[in-house]
Amino acid sequence: MKKDFDDIKMSITDALELPLDVALDLPKIIVVGDVKVNITNHRGIIEYTNDLIRINSKIGMIKIIGDSLEIKNVLMEEITINGSIKKIEIIS
Amino acid sequence: MLAIKIWNYIRGYVIIRIRGLTLERLLNLALSKDIYLWNVNRLSNTRIEATVSLSGLEALEAIVNKSGCEIEIIGKTGLPFILNRLKYKKMFALGVAVFISLILFLSSLLWKIEIIGIEQIPKDKLVNLLKDNDIRVGIFKHRIDKKKVEKIILSEYDFLSFLDVQISGIKLIVDIKELDIEPDRVDKSYPCNLVAKKKGVIVKIVAKNGEAVVEKGQIVEENDILISGTMKSESSDERYLVHAEGEVLAQTRYSHIIELPIVKLEEVETGRVYKQRGLTINDKGVRFLSGNIPFENYTEEVIEKDIIDFKWLKLDFPVKFVTYLFREVEIKEIKQEIEYLKAYSKLEATKEINKQLSETCEIISRNEIYTIDENILRTQVTIETIEDIGRKQIISN
Repeated sequence: MKKDFDDIKMSITDALELPLDVALDLPKIIVVGDVKVNITNHRGIIEYTNDLIRINSKIGMIKIIGDSLEIKNVLMEEITINGSIKKIEIIS
Repeated sequence: MLAIKIWNYIRGYVIIRIRGLTLERLLNLALSKDIYLWNVNRLSNTRIEATVSLSGLEALEAIVNKSGCEIEIIGKTGLPFILNRLKYKKMFALGVAVFISLILFLSSLLWKIEIIGIEQIPKDKLVNLLKDNDIRVGIFKHRIDKKKVEKIILSEYDFLSFLDVQISGIKLIVDIKELDIEPDRVDKSYPCNLVAKKKGVIVKIVAKNGEAVVEKGQIVEENDILISGTMKSESSDERYLVHAEGEVLAQTRYSHIIELPIVKLEEVETGRVYKQRGLTINDKGVRFLSGNIPFENYTEEVIEKDIIDFKWLKLDFPVKFVTYLFREVEIKEIKQEIEYLKAYSKLEATKEINKQLSETCEIISRNEIYTIDENILRTQVTIETIEDIGRKQIISN
């Protein structure tokens, strides 16, 4: 039932060309080169170490692997991570 | 980003170190409590370094205690801390306050009185006059009433043509332009030069006091020194100042030009009138029947009339009827007698010159030149006089 509802939402969004992240409440991940990751619409930090950060979101866990990772700022909606990024993984 | 940094600096922020095992949970808690954290850095498994705003710190401390972590403040930055430090450095704060109030106090005093443009009034006499009326260096600026200062100076000296009193910063500037006064009225206790008040050829020069520096027959310009008040001592090289006095007669010229048209145009009304009506709303008008005016030469008259008379309500009703009256005129050329015109313009020019002449001058010649250029009669009247052109100018150091 939930799946059907999501499909309908998706097709409406497609038809109206609405931004997906707003309409479907999806996280938006912006990667700048290999030095900066910006995630909006996240649901909290699961794990945070220097070389691994796991962030919860609606679509599952976002895993960022790299070296000397630092959380530049963290807000309710937005999180910015600086450092040298090697891998971004989405585990749903 | 710079604006945010400046804002954070004004609000004040602290760098903290959190020690504990459930650091991620703490971060999530902080997020849900809307505490803004930045520059979060993992130091080791159990330690984290972060920056938090001053207002966020209190809220964070409450959570930290709940989650069983420890918090340690390692750095404080921002304006609130600087101000806070001032609380303990009382003498420093006092020094700042004293410094600012001293500057304010000193800049509200009058430090200098500057007098510009005086030649016949001795400067220290004017300064003393102001001092007698309690205007001197060292008083508060706000106590000076410019109007009053002007009144004081004007009541003492009646030969000023211009006077302006201004307060500029810590200075009182008195700008004076003098009329020429009789040399006798200048205060004799001050050294002065005798200078020319107008251009002329020297006829006679008698120095009663001081040293004559011009000779008979010499042409002098305005403000040239005639009798110098700086005297050389005969025995030594020293110079001393005297109050120069004397009589300097010079031949001076006055001339005035009058131009008059020989053929004068005069407009004579013929009695024919053409009328147009219009309407104006707030000075923007509409003209009805705007046909051509059937006259070649005419005068125009505009009569405005309110549509509804609101005069009794003291209101100016914006919509008005306008009547334009065009009166036809005929232009007549009237040729005037040249002899009459010459006599008339000679008289007028002489009158003009007489206004400039001083009472003591002696007229030696009167000369008229007439030139006719097309329709214009040009009359130049020149009067040559012999008069005393001396004017005293006080030597100010």
